[in-house]
Amino acid sequence: MAASVEGWTMGELLELFSPSRVAVVGATDREGSVGRAIMENLRGFEGEVVPVNPNRESVFGDPCVPEVGAAGDVDLAVIAVPVEAAVEAVRAAGEAGVEAVVVITAGFGEAGSEGAAREAELERAAAEYDLDLVGPNCVGVLGTPAGLNATFAPTGAEPGSISFLSQSGAVITAVLDWAADEGVGFRHVVSLGNKAVLDEADFVDAWGGDPGTDVVLGYLESVADGRRFVERTREVSRETPVVVLKSGRTEAGARAAASHTGAIAGSDRAYEAGLRAAGAIRAHSLQGLFDAGRALAGQPVPEGDGVAVVTNAGGAGVLATDAVGDTRLSLASLAPETVGTLGEVLPPGANRHNPVDIIGDADAARFREALAAVLADEGVAAAAVLAAPSAPLSFEALAEAVVDCQADAGIPIVAALMGGERVRAAEPALRAAGIPTYFDPGRAVGSLDALARYRERRERESESPGTFRVDRERADAVLDTARERGRTQLGVEAMALLEAYGIPTPAGAVADDPGEAVAVAEDIGDEVVLKIVSPDISHKSDIGGVRVGVPVGEVADAFEDLVARAYSYQPDARVLGVQVQELIDTDAGVETIVGATRDPTFGPVVLFGLGGIFVETLEDVAVRLAPVAGSEARAMTREIETAPLLQGARGREPVDTDAVVETIQRLSRLVTDYPGILELDVNPLVATPDGATAVDLRLTVEP
Amino acid sequence: MTTTTVLVTATGEGSGKTAVALALATLARERGRSVGYMKPKGTRLESVVGKTVDADPAFAAELLDIDADVATLEPVVYSPTFVEEAVRGREDPGALREQVRESFETLSADRDLMVVEGGTTWATGRTVDLADPAVATLLDADPLVVAGYRRPDDLDDVLVAADRFDGPRVLFNGIAEGTADRVAADVAPFLEGEGIPVPGVLPRVPELAGVTVADLAEELGAEVLTDGATDATVERFLVGAMGAETSLRYFRRASDAAVITGGDRAEIHSVALEAPGVRCLLLTGGVEPSDAVLGTAETRGIPVLLVRGDTMTTIDRAEGVVRSGRTRDARTVERMRELLADHADVDALLGG
Repeated sequence: MAASVEGWTMGELLELFSPSRVAVVGATDREGSVGRAIMENLRGFEGEVVPVNPNRESVFGDPCVPEVGAAGDVDLAVIAVPVEAAVEAVRAAGEAGVEAVVVITAGFGEAGSEGAAREAELERAAAEYDLDLVGPNCVGVLGTPAGLNATFAPTGAEPGSISFLSQSGAVITAVLDWAADEGVGFRHVVSLGNKAVLDEADFVDAWGGDPGTDVVLGYLESVADGRRFVERTREVSRETPVVVLKSGRTEAGARAAASHTGAIAGSDRAYEAGLRAAGAIRAHSLQGLFDAGRALAGQPVPEGDGVAVVTNAGGAGVLATDAVGDTRLSLASLAPETVGTLGEVLPPGANRHNPVDIIGDADAARFREALAAVLADEGVAAAAVLAAPSAPLSFEALAEAVVDCQADAGIPIVAALMGGERVRAAEPALRAAGIPTYFDPGRAVGSLDALARYRERRERESESPGTFRVDRERADAVLDTARERGRTQLGVEAMALLEAYGIPTPAGAVADDPGEAVAVAEDIGDEVVLKIVSPDISHKSDIGGVRVGVPVGEVADAFEDLVARAYSYQPDARVLGVQVQELIDTDAGVETIVGATRDPTFGPVVLFGLGGIFVETLEDVAVRLAPVAGSEARAMTREIETAPLLQGARGREPVDTDAVVETIQRLSRLVTDYPGILELDVNPLVATPDGATAVDLRLTVEP
Repeated sequence: MTTTTVLVTATGEGSGKTAVALALATLARERGRSVGYMKPKGTRLESVVGKTVDADPAFAAELLDIDADVATLEPVVYSPTFVEEAVRGREDPGALREQVRESFETLSADRDLMVVEGGTTWATGRTVDLADPAVATLLDADPLVVAGYRRPDDLDDVLVAADRFDGPRVLFNGIAEGTADRVAADVAPFLEGEGIPVPGVLPRVPELAGVTVADLAEELGAEVLTDGATDATVERFLVGAMGAETSLRYFRRASDAAVITGGDRAEIHSVALEAPGVRCLLLTGGVEPSDAVLGTAETRGIPVLLVRGDTMTTIDRAEGVVRSGRTRDARTVERMRELLADHADVDALLGG
């Protein structure tokens, strides 16, 4: 829906958050109105605020102008007028030369047919005047450096280095109120609303060029343009971490999201692949989003995966250790020298190994010594300090020790101060140093995991997808024929498509009658495979439409049998013939599936898994955006749970993974080259120690 | 002046008989011939201001500019009650035949060509000795059997129908892509060998195989929730009862489809709006979708219909609407005229 807006430089969009003169169209002092809330929130703004309202003389003592054209040199117009007047107000702003507009007003695409028409009008107005337009149906924008709070949220924001975008306005008002309690500060906040013009990709892109933004956080229910988002975010995430909470993961969640926004919530697997390609870190809850955000904003990125745990409570140490086990992190194994040093500073009964338990009578000084010792260990890349209340322990002193140690070592540290009122006094010092603190040791470890995931993303090489010699003409011919005949469902009769892309297939052809089938079979060999060819029968083997190992002498009878089965299964099926195919020895290999789908959000996506129940029942698949690079295709073959079967489980010979990897890449190239392919399944792709062969094919093409 | 009479009959319901009859008449008019139309037995009955009539003759009269009353265009109203009365001996077949002949004489006066449309199938009317073969003999008409062909043994029905007539010809209609080649290459020559000319093999086209969204809405008594165009053709129905991802795969395989699902299944609505072959959403249970979904549908130009009934009942009714294959607008006839011009020997069909 969102028109992509090209042609500005990043700096221009950032100016949205630091205007010098803001016009509030629909400003009022009427109790309980949005126009009033915005005016109140703009009181702290460093620049000038001009209320625009033809029906008022002044608002809060500021003289009103009747229209935005009379407001002087305005660089941001906030539109909070009734919906019937909103598009006209945007036009007036454009006419007056305003370049950035925030449309708070609701009643557009989210409000049925009439609203959709109005949103189209709004988009046209924005295009006509080349406006940077936020919303409509949003809470507004906020930029702490300029003291700008052009929202109607009841709570503002403290300064910080987190920039936050959200598709839900309520999530913004809630987060701002919560953040005020938690001492979380923000740099920029934008409520995307319906994303009629500007969307998530625009803001990620802009914040990537903003030195004051250390982390980008996003709450999304859908992505407007998946490929654009991936491209922009991939660039930004090299230098600035981007953490995304995408809701609508489950079936019921997807329903709620689609109902809320009208947009497809999308395949969660495609989102997983898209966010991975974008280099974004995915959070699964609001808490996880902000845990990650705080850690990334406040702490350096660790250089390894080794975590040291220092605690005065054995139970907390075990909880943290379990949490480490759930992540990509590992519990650092401490060097003998470190263990030695710990022996010197810790009392008998303490655990000098990781998790380091400095026991219940520890004071802050003992924490300091133990922490300094582990931080000096080369194998320690990050540390978690866990403290339960005890008589000798002053949490303020502990906080000071943790801050000092972190500053000395330059290694990320997170804390779990496990108490209530007693620990609060220590929190300001830790927060001031950017050290996240939690009650639960698991959350502390989780925020370290976010740091490690970001390191992994930065280290990931960006490898270009491989190029292959392919026969475009031959592939064109297959797809053109289908189009001419109005066929959208293709099967084995389209195997030439795979051959054109260098994917090995068994010898074979479609036979029209029994005699032709016998002739094809005689060319192939002693035994063949026969498959019914019908665009109306999607699960051939379910209806007995596939016969394996048919001797040449029985081919004519088998032909008749398959055609009869097809008609008895579906009396009006279109039967195009019978495919006669070379028999591939599947016993020597592993049946895998390589599939592709054109995701409505992210475009072509490829999928790899093992055949049979593994894909259909266990959903054990690896998914990537197409085209995939060699390293990513290889990662796909490794990340499925059933990967050991490819490596030769139970004494079998490993399959030729290189051939599988190449097939995945070639197929991903095919679906990228031909956007008309909506779905494609090679099932099975039989992988043997000597190669990989595409035995069956099914695809859906655009009409 | 000699009048050529063509009786358009059919092997089964929904074969496109009405469209073929009217398109032939149109083609003849274009060739400067004076054309009359008649449907001796009214079978597609509906009640218009208290009187049960077939809707086809009135439409034909309007389309072909024929000034005749419905009782002449359709002398026998072949309703269930009529058949029961005939079985009870309360109708006189001889008188009925006479009535048909008289109407025909009135209508065919000064005409070069008379197009006579048969019953639902060629057998319709047998209870009063007015099955299509008898009508052909009575009116000295050249029989044209409109037949479908989906699978090889359908040919038996075609042959049995042809056997009933004197000098029959067979026009294949609605032949699926993939099957059309076989019909042309094997079936037509076979029939010709049996002495049955095949003047054309017409391919299946969605506009004729389906109904418009507007018609569907009207027939189902559905409320149209969107403002956009409703002239797209729907040929088949898909039920959105699976997960969103699976549904998308399934919806993408279909063309000219309506997706039937509950009004509260927003995730299904949103994926249906992404599938290129989906022409409308048909929501059941009287549950309105969210405004945001309606907004998206409007933007995509996909109409959203709402019915009170449950999904199962709605599927049955909707499929019935498509099956009956209504020819109620000039557009359908025009499309058939194009098909005949492109895929049939029109001169042979018009005889004379």
